[in-house]
Amino acid sequence: MNYFFQQLNREWRFMLRQKYILILLTCTFLISSFSVLSGLNEISQQQQTLERLKAADTVDREAAQKKHHDPGSIAYYSFHLTSSAPSNLAFAALGERDIYPWKHRIKMLALEGQIYESDTQNAELAQAGKIDFVFVLSALSPLLIILLFHDLYASERTSGRHDLLVTTAKSSWALWGARGAIRFISLLLCLMVPFYFGAWLSGTNLSNVVMVSFWSVIYLIFWTILSVYWGKNASSAPRVASGLIGIWVLFAFIIPILGDLTINKLVHSPEGGDIVLTQREAVNDAWDIPKETTMDAFIASYPEWKDHVAMESEFEWKWYYAFQQVGDQTAAPLSQAYRDAAHKKYQLAGIASLLSPPLLLQRVLTRLANTDAVAAFQYEQQIRDFHERLRLFYYPFLFTQQKLGETQLATMPSFEKLTQIQKAELNSNIDTSQ
Amino acid sequence: MSQNNLSKIIIVAKDEWRYWLRSKLAISVMAIGLLLTLSSVIVTSINMMELSHARHELQEDAEETFVEQPDRHPHRMVHYGHYAFRTPAPLSILDPGIDAYTGNSIFLEGHRQNSAMFADQKQGTALTQLGSLTPAFIVQTLAPLLLILIGYSSVSRERESQTLTYLLSQGTSGNTLILGKGLALLSVIGLILAPLAVAALISLHDGESITAVLAFILGYGLYLSVWALLVLLFSSALSKNSESFTALAFVWILLCVVMPRVASTTAATSVPAAGKLETDFAVIAELRKLGDGHNAADPAFDKLKAELLEKYNVDSIDQLPVNYRGIIASAAEAELTHVLNEFAEQRMQTELSQIHVSRQFGWLSPMVAIRSLSMLVVGTSIETHHRFLREAEALRFEFVQALNKVHVEKLSYQDDMNRNKDAAATQKARVSAENWQVLEDFNFEVDKAKQRMQRSLAAFLQLLLWIVLLVVAIRTIGKRLI
Repeated sequence: MNYFFQQLNREWRFMLRQKYILILLTCTFLISSFSVLSGLNEISQQQQTLERLKAADTVDREAAQKKHHDPGSIAYYSFHLTSSAPSNLAFAALGERDIYPWKHRIKMLALEGQIYESDTQNAELAQAGKIDFVFVLSALSPLLIILLFHDLYASERTSGRHDLLVTTAKSSWALWGARGAIRFISLLLCLMVPFYFGAWLSGTNLSNVVMVSFWSVIYLIFWTILSVYWGKNASSAPRVASGLIGIWVLFAFIIPILGDLTINKLVHSPEGGDIVLTQREAVNDAWDIPKETTMDAFIASYPEWKDHVAMESEFEWKWYYAFQQVGDQTAAPLSQAYRDAAHKKYQLAGIASLLSPPLLLQRVLTRLANTDAVAAFQYEQQIRDFHERLRLFYYPFLFTQQKLGETQLATMPSFEKLTQIQKAELNSNIDTSQ
Repeated sequence: MSQNNLSKIIIVAKDEWRYWLRSKLAISVMAIGLLLTLSSVIVTSINMMELSHARHELQEDAEETFVEQPDRHPHRMVHYGHYAFRTPAPLSILDPGIDAYTGNSIFLEGHRQNSAMFADQKQGTALTQLGSLTPAFIVQTLAPLLLILIGYSSVSRERESQTLTYLLSQGTSGNTLILGKGLALLSVIGLILAPLAVAALISLHDGESITAVLAFILGYGLYLSVWALLVLLFSSALSKNSESFTALAFVWILLCVVMPRVASTTAATSVPAAGKLETDFAVIAELRKLGDGHNAADPAFDKLKAELLEKYNVDSIDQLPVNYRGIIASAAEAELTHVLNEFAEQRMQTELSQIHVSRQFGWLSPMVAIRSLSMLVVGTSIETHHRFLREAEALRFEFVQALNKVHVEKLSYQDDMNRNKDAAATQKARVSAENWQVLEDFNFEVDKAKQRMQRSLAAFLQLLLWIVLLVVAIRTIGKRLI
């Protein structure tokens, strides 16, 4: 054991004397820290925004409900905030939250006309991409490993010490193993220490920290072995590194780009614009077609109101909301196909990323952090569920002249409650399945 | 420079080419580079041309369906709305810029400014987060790597194999040697840029100005020259091939992979932007003061009512020769648009100040400089998108007000007030479909070349500064070359 530490100690001192390795490690630490700090900052901004929005949303809705008194107008003027809060690992994997919306305000009108609105950030910044911990780990760390390990043998060969070292060393592990281990551990620490700091600050649960550490170590070991193996018999360090960087370019750019081209050829998705167009035609045509046609289509889905569809005037709120719903129903097949295409693409991208370790790691970690496309799909589904609950809440007041007073308004569904219930259901399902 | 010296430079350059042609690595790197550039030019060109065609068609369809709507109450058409599509700039076949990140169509309706919908990125595979097959990405990120791979040893090799002293003692000066190697690298740059230049020239056919095309090619030429100079600098300054390579690879990682993202993250952090949702609350609060245009009885319109009664010298709104509801709708729309535009301008200004921060990083990284230069010259930057938003808003306001005018003049107040009485009254409260010919043709075009040039000036300066500094550094080293 003592011998083992002697070897490590020697290699440690050797490394401290190589300036370029020190520069490399310092830069790694700085970049990793920057990514974690900016991630923490971004997440805290998102949380603050949500707090402000929630407060403003409540005030706004209460004002609307005070001003209007009939159920139709209340429904027309009350907006409802829906949101998907960042998880406690999101600081490390910002994921696709800059592309998919994580906050929406909806009201009881046709949902297809509202749900594609997006409150996106600056497009030019989104195009450049953000530097988060997952990016540093998946895209950058392989390059750093290549720079650190490609010349493990070659540098000694070119400086003519290789054979001497090999013959004088007790075992090849004592020499190369110790040298490699020191470099690997130093790089790992420079990368991970900022992450642990961030995790501690944002109260990430231990299992997530362990999972991230596990995947990071596996990933780094993969690249280390590849780099060492690739340079095993070479004498020209630059040639080894060129090959390795070529592999990195293949994994990070070429395979994903080819995958993207293939998937986009394979999966056909309806144009988003067509969904909105269909919905808009259906909603606007309702004013020109017989009211019975609209009501018939409505009670086909909601037969419980079939005795209450007769109209006394040319405009009644129940008919107005019925044709909003019929508009959604008309666009539903297109909308479903659009979502199915997105899911299909995500699944196929999963297969493609099996061929590309950087993307695979990104996928695994953004899934852990719940910041990927799946999280965005789930959020969209939650909005749809909430919209449905909202409609079901209002229908009795609209169709059967029940009074909508303060007591009833207090029982109005809220998005937050809905997501809590869904979470509880999910947990109980997991419990029973175990 | 003497004739003799020039021929020496050419001999050095030729010799460098001979070395490359014998080296398997250099040949395969060049072949891969050319293949990537070519395929990216072809794939992106086809994509963007299809998009352009599709959006033109959608725009025409939208105008046709609007005009074909049946007789209706004019306010129904205000809510029926219209679409505006952003057709891409001709040069976007080489740099689509933010096209996939912003929605490319806007639904235009009364009382609201919608955001652009359906950004392509949302329906994408998320596989292209690190890079996409666009000529811009390939040349900005991968071409420098290619130059490094074939050029890292250009001078250090001569030193390592001890031919350098020999060459210098034969009367070739250090600077001549470096110039020759530089010339060889320049010819490689020419090779990489050739497919781009051809595609850029083709875009002339689609109405792009020659100034923009030349500026585009010049910009990329300058950018890759920066990299050729960096390669020469490290190769001359460091004594070993491996040192030169490691240093260059590390510089590439910092400048091309890390810096652009550090720039955008710093911009987003230092200039926080309230989302649209958040400013919407401020808009709503502001609008409450203005009054609801659907409700002619809103006390906010009392003053307008009094003025109208006085103007036409009548006692009640029923006696007005014009439709009071239409007047209210029109007045409310004008005031509301004023407020909405104010907030929209604020949002755009915030975005611009963010971009301003991120573009300053061009002084630190030539990659950030060429990225902004390219998007600005092509017209796929945020500025052009903002102009699209403004033009779409102008189109919205124009047709909504034109419909409100029809509401005021072509529909009597009595018919309008009785519209919900029975089916016959509803029929009577309509105007003929001939009135739907209020749409202006919407055809979004990229900004004038001169304006794009002005915007990209700073980025050109950034690249030039890099070149000047590098040339000075290389000349100093060239003199002391041993």
